[in-house]
Amino acid sequence: MSSTEERIRALVDENLEIDGRPPGRPLDLDSSLRDSGVSSLDFVAFAKLVAQEFGVEVSMEECASINSVGELIEFLDAKAA
Amino acid sequence: MTAGLQGDRGMPGDDLRWWRPYCSPGPVEVFHVALVPHSGREAAAWTLLDTEERRRCRRFLYPAPRRQFVLSRAALRAVLCVALGCDNGELTFEFSRYGKPIPLVGGDRVALHCNISHSGSHGLVALSHRGRVGVDVEERRPRKNLEDLVETVFGPEERALLARLQGKRWLDTFLALWTAKEALAKAWGMGLRTDFSTFQVPSEMLRGERTGLFRCPRISNATWRLEDIGCDDLAAAVAYEEDREAGREF
Ligand SMILES: CC(C)(COP(=O)(O)OP(=O)(O)OC[C@H]1O[C@@H](n2cnc3c(N)ncnc32)[C@H](O)[C@@H]1OP(=O)(O)O)[C@@H](O)C(=O)NCCC(=O)NCCS
Repeated sequence: MSSTEERIRALVDENLEIDGRPPGRPLDLDSSLRDSGVSSLDFVAFAKLVAQEFGVEVSMEECASINSVGELIEFLDAKAA
Repeated sequence: MTAGLQGDRGMPGDDLRWWRPYCSPGPVEVFHVALVPHSGREAAAWTLLDTEERRRCRRFLYPAPRRQFVLSRAALRAVLCVALGCDNGELTFEFSRYGKPIPLVGGDRVALHCNISHSGSHGLVALSHRGRVGVDVEERRPRKNLEDLVETVFGPEERALLARLQGKRWLDTFLALWTAKEALAKAWGMGLRTDFSTFQVPSEMLRGERTGLFRCPRISNATWRLEDIGCDDLAAAVAYEEDREAGREF
């Protein structure tokens, strides 16, 4: 597991409310956030938090193009590269 | 296969119906959709969905978002059938470039615009007989990390308003501003692709009025009416065209 992935998984567990996800169930990185029931407000707030943790900027347009936690990890890795 | 539903005929009875008229600002009718778990309603709603919608249901990972989709899409179908006097089997949807559902009857566009929103146990369906419409609802519940979002999603006057508030009033105002902006962005069909910090809710609403007129030629040539339709349980807003911009759909 990459260090970005490890940090994101912890941030998801602490901050992202995924309606109905059984506690402790591992997160599927490729699942669509919309199909997981994450609202746009919760996701934008989460993406902003994650960007701050990683010291990068994230615009709303970038948020709109991210569809899964896996894509969020790719976005952060690309910004850090 | 979808259940027959001509206008009111074939629709779930009053005792089972999970949607009800909520408010009717200007040319818009807004319905509240109850999204609480209810096996009878969910079974009735399922029968109203078409093959594509049922396929979509299978993609949801958890029961809550699946239930929100099933109950709100079926309610949308029911109110559209009444408004258009059509059979549920004739009703399909096409999607605009960024995913906004557009109703079709017998494969043709109709002179009625719609939009839906859901949050927790509340859904809203908006129908407009005059032009494009967008609606947004957010359940009132504690949320994390909203403070850090202020710079990203609000303009200077909106930020100044929030800076004067604390606690519940801060959260209520945050949600009123967010739902107003998202209702506009959904009316335009852009959703999150609109940079929310580049436009502000009308100044009369920042002064506490429940409605205001929005004009921003950089984004849209139309004039939009924005209304705060929130209540104790939910924050919500609806945006609709006051005068039509010729046939523009994103
Ligand atoms: C879809 C979107 C406009 C609204 O999201 P939201 O506030 O979480 O959800 P709401 O409940 O208010 O609205 C959802 C409904 O809006 C409608 N909708 C979808 N795309 C739309 C668009 N571009 N414009 C207007 N309405 C739209 C749909 O009917 C949808 O409900 P359904 O899927 O049950 O049919 C917004 O999330 C977006 O632009 N997303 C694109 C990027 C994305 O999905 N990123 C993933 C993180 S959320």
